[in-house]
Amino acid sequence: MSDHDGTSFGLPSAEQLKSDLIWDSYFLPSYRDFEGDMKRSQRAIEIGNIEKLCYFAHVGIGTTTDAAFEKSRRETPDLISAPLKRWPEKLLGMIHLNANDVSASLDALNHWIRDGQMLGVYFAGGGPGSLPCTHKNFNPLIERIAELKAVIMQHTWHVTGGKTSPGHSLPSELAELAARFPEQQFICAHAGGEWEKGICAVRDSPNILVETSGFDATAGFIEMAMRELGPERIVFGSHLPSRSLGTELGKIVGANIPDEARKLILGGNFRRLLRRE
Amino acid sequence: MKFCHEEIGQATRGMMKRRTLIQSAIATGTVATLSPSAWANETELNIIDTNVSLSRWPFRRLPLDDTQQLAAKLRKLGITTALAGSFEGILQRDISSVNDRLVSECAGFSELIPVGSINPNLHGWEDDLKQCIGDHAMRGIRLHPNYHGYELNNPRFLKLLNLAADAKLFVQIAAVFEDVRTQPDQLRVADVDLTPLIENHVGRIQILNWRPRGELVEKLASIPNIHFDVSRVDQTNGVAAMLKTIPESRVMFGTHAPFLIPEASLIRVHESDLPDSSLSLLMNKNAKTFLTG
Repeated sequence: MSDHDGTSFGLPSAEQLKSDLIWDSYFLPSYRDFEGDMKRSQRAIEIGNIEKLCYFAHVGIGTTTDAAFEKSRRETPDLISAPLKRWPEKLLGMIHLNANDVSASLDALNHWIRDGQMLGVYFAGGGPGSLPCTHKNFNPLIERIAELKAVIMQHTWHVTGGKTSPGHSLPSELAELAARFPEQQFICAHAGGEWEKGICAVRDSPNILVETSGFDATAGFIEMAMRELGPERIVFGSHLPSRSLGTELGKIVGANIPDEARKLILGGNFRRLLRRE
Repeated sequence: MKFCHEEIGQATRGMMKRRTLIQSAIATGTVATLSPSAWANETELNIIDTNVSLSRWPFRRLPLDDTQQLAAKLRKLGITTALAGSFEGILQRDISSVNDRLVSECAGFSELIPVGSINPNLHGWEDDLKQCIGDHAMRGIRLHPNYHGYELNNPRFLKLLNLAADAKLFVQIAAVFEDVRTQPDQLRVADVDLTPLIENHVGRIQILNWRPRGELVEKLASIPNIHFDVSRVDQTNGVAAMLKTIPESRVMFGTHAPFLIPEASLIRVHESDLPDSSLSLLMNKNAKTFLTG
């Protein structure tokens, strides 16, 4: 393999990346091949000097369409936390909630967050567990999540032409939800994809932070987010391995922003949400 | 044939026209030797970016949409040569003036090679093509079939391919410019359907901004005169996977800057952990061969 180091390819020096203490809020290994996707992501994790990565575990409450997988997680819960045991220095975990099944989701919150190692929840934008986040089912879930001081990652995409599934949420809908729970912090995953609209939709919601992954490395995103939201409201995500370090870390290291802002975006803000400062 | 600093200095002072110099270098396969950074360190990759655009993206100001700033960034990243099209060529209809401005803008930057826009749906496009060939001595043209409203089996497109091949011009086809999901509501443009290229593929063709997927990749990969760039290839191992499907002699580096952040494509290549031999082809040699025909 090549002798050229990352600085020949637009990466900052390894020393700088290490000093940035990068924590990835949006790591996406497949639940079907977690081990394989960890391997596939290894090179990116190494050259990006990513300290920790947060993945989203399915906990057998109907958030996938794979009946055998759901059954296996209900019958053998240890499988759910196995990645945290296998890579304890590298991984952080959050759980998928099923907004269509409030009771099971409340049980999962108690089991995996109150009594377990998981740090927050993920609300998907599609699939059997998803609902638009303005739905009334979110109210009891958010109340409990707030009591547990857990982090909320809500998938959002503002797709040109309209929503792509019944469970799809928009940044403007997250702003509505966030207004009902002003003490709770929310992460707007993918900044709404079409980030100009996404940023504007959450601009007046101080309890919403935007996550940076999930769309092309379109130039100007971080600069606009810095201007409209400030560096404290931007959280790095890698979306590995289905997206690349190039696309996702490139957005941050390619932006013309001060060092302190870059450090907040790449890890400081997420650690603050996780209370791991 | 190589040029020394003094010769370049003379060229920039007008004793030898810079464009002529570049064209000569292209013709002799020494494109990458033209830039100061290339002379400075022969061990550098001398990266050729086959996919940048100048002027203003119609829907957003971009941090690098000033040519001076873009060129400085490219230099900083070790990109010694870049094929530059024009954002203006996407929506404007006075293509002749678009190409005039592009050539004029590139003249101030030794690393930028102008790639003219042609819209075969406009009356007089043949004249625009002649201008690219004759007046501007361009080496290639860039097409935007989805923004200009034609399919790749359109007779005018086929005629254009043939004329370009006769003039030994390369043809870049921008299969996508912006993700359809993020386009303005009232100005949505679907990705170009590349399927007709399987039957119609005269001359040197490069597909830009495409994310290879499905059976079409293998079919296009089997056609020797069709080339690709890596600007929007994604997944952490996306570039390496692409080089397993498409012969590595036909994949070229591109950033799609300044619309996309140029670091993104570079880091993605590094992420793919390619051997030096493959890197050299991807980042430099394939483009040199493509430019020289």
